[in-house]
Amino acid sequence: MSFAQILQSLVAGLGYTVLVTLLCAATALVVALAIIAARRLGGKAAGNALDALVYVLRGIPVLVLLFMVFFGLPALGLDIPPLAAMMLSLGAVSGAYLSEIFRGSLQAVSQAEILAAQASGFTPFQSFRLIELPQMIRLSVPGMVNELTSVMKYSPFAYTVGIPEITKQAMALTSTTMQSLQIYTAVGLLYFGLYRAILLAVAYVERHFAIPGFAEE
Amino acid sequence: MALLEVRNLVKTFGTKTVLDGVTFDLEEGQTKVIMGPSGCGKSTLLRCLNRLEEPTSGSVRFDGKEMTAPTADVRALRQLIGFVFQNFALYRHLTVLDNVTLALRQLKKMPAALAEERALHELARMDMAEKRDAYPASLSGGQSQRVAIARALAMEPRVLFFDEPTSALDPVMAREVVTLINRLYLENVTILCVTHDLYLAQYISDSIIFLDQGKVRAEDKAENLLSGHADPVIASFFGRKS
Repeated sequence: MSFAQILQSLVAGLGYTVLVTLLCAATALVVALAIIAARRLGGKAAGNALDALVYVLRGIPVLVLLFMVFFGLPALGLDIPPLAAMMLSLGAVSGAYLSEIFRGSLQAVSQAEILAAQASGFTPFQSFRLIELPQMIRLSVPGMVNELTSVMKYSPFAYTVGIPEITKQAMALTSTTMQSLQIYTAVGLLYFGLYRAILLAVAYVERHFAIPGFAEE
Repeated sequence: MALLEVRNLVKTFGTKTVLDGVTFDLEEGQTKVIMGPSGCGKSTLLRCLNRLEEPTSGSVRFDGKEMTAPTADVRALRQLIGFVFQNFALYRHLTVLDNVTLALRQLKKMPAALAEERALHELARMDMAEKRDAYPASLSGGQSQRVAIARALAMEPRVLFFDEPTSALDPVMAREVVTLINRLYLENVTILCVTHDLYLAQYISDSIIFLDQGKVRAEDKAENLLSGHADPVIASFFGRKS
């Protein structure tokens, strides 16, 4: 098989890799935003409970959590589809990490601005939504890129629950062609291409939402 | 009835008493300046008045309504008090125009076009209309403070609180801001201003409240406090300043 043919055979899996990455990244974003909002607006008890949850999620390997969700929950009568299992494991763990990135960025939002919002009559939720959140997201971009890249790099775990993403396709192709070096080189190139695409997309978004002098203060 | 009536206001942090029975009135259209040594409780007093800090005891009546009551609508009170901070506290992710319109749109539920019109009027009053699309990072300290004042005025507050409005500015910018505050004073805007700036105090105040160790030590016209006051603490304070 030529290298071009190998790449062509793997492209079908690329769609699944992108799908898994996007869905898990979206889950991570939702989880992280929920955690940070609850931490900021909830009471001390909610904050402590979320700290414990984040601590646990960061300590569990993604693959173990994926197996717990996909193979463990059916024992309790809960059948979780493969994509949902990826979201509940990789998405949740990544969300826990992302929430820590958000926590650091939120601390960088000027207390004076929060006080000014409070003095104007904004509710804590309005202050969070209108003042803190837009700044927090902008300050988190470098960390978010790292986390999104990690999600992409963990996406091959999806093959263990039967999702035919790139790695799964590569394994199938290797077993029939025995061209493992060429096949896994092609896999590496596809992942690198995906990584470049993520960087370009983020750079575009960053430019679009850039504020003169914002990050330099 | 005074617009703002403060009676026996006490604020403690742990065992430290920062405000110790502060009492004064502020009439509509009047300007009062609060002065005193560093750490005497000036900024804490301002923050207790709009409940950014919870007073430990005492009474604050605003337009006849008791504002320290647990049932008081604190956020409604805050919308009636424009607060200008020492460090400007502009929202750095928003343009000058958005800084001014944000509360109008979100709190007063003003349509965007009307909010913009109102904001531009206040920015023009502060000679800042041409900077409408600039971000705070590109503004000088004096310009930032003028935007902060426009932001406070846009809400049509009953009273403006200034917390050290010139202390973060160099002398030239400070004079610019003093001129603008003086303009508001001449327009009979009700103002309560905490400052160390004697120049500002002389230019804008109907009277000065001298705070010392959390207590009102004197309240009098600037000229009376400045010219060899009988109280040695006050005489020494202003002697050092002038």
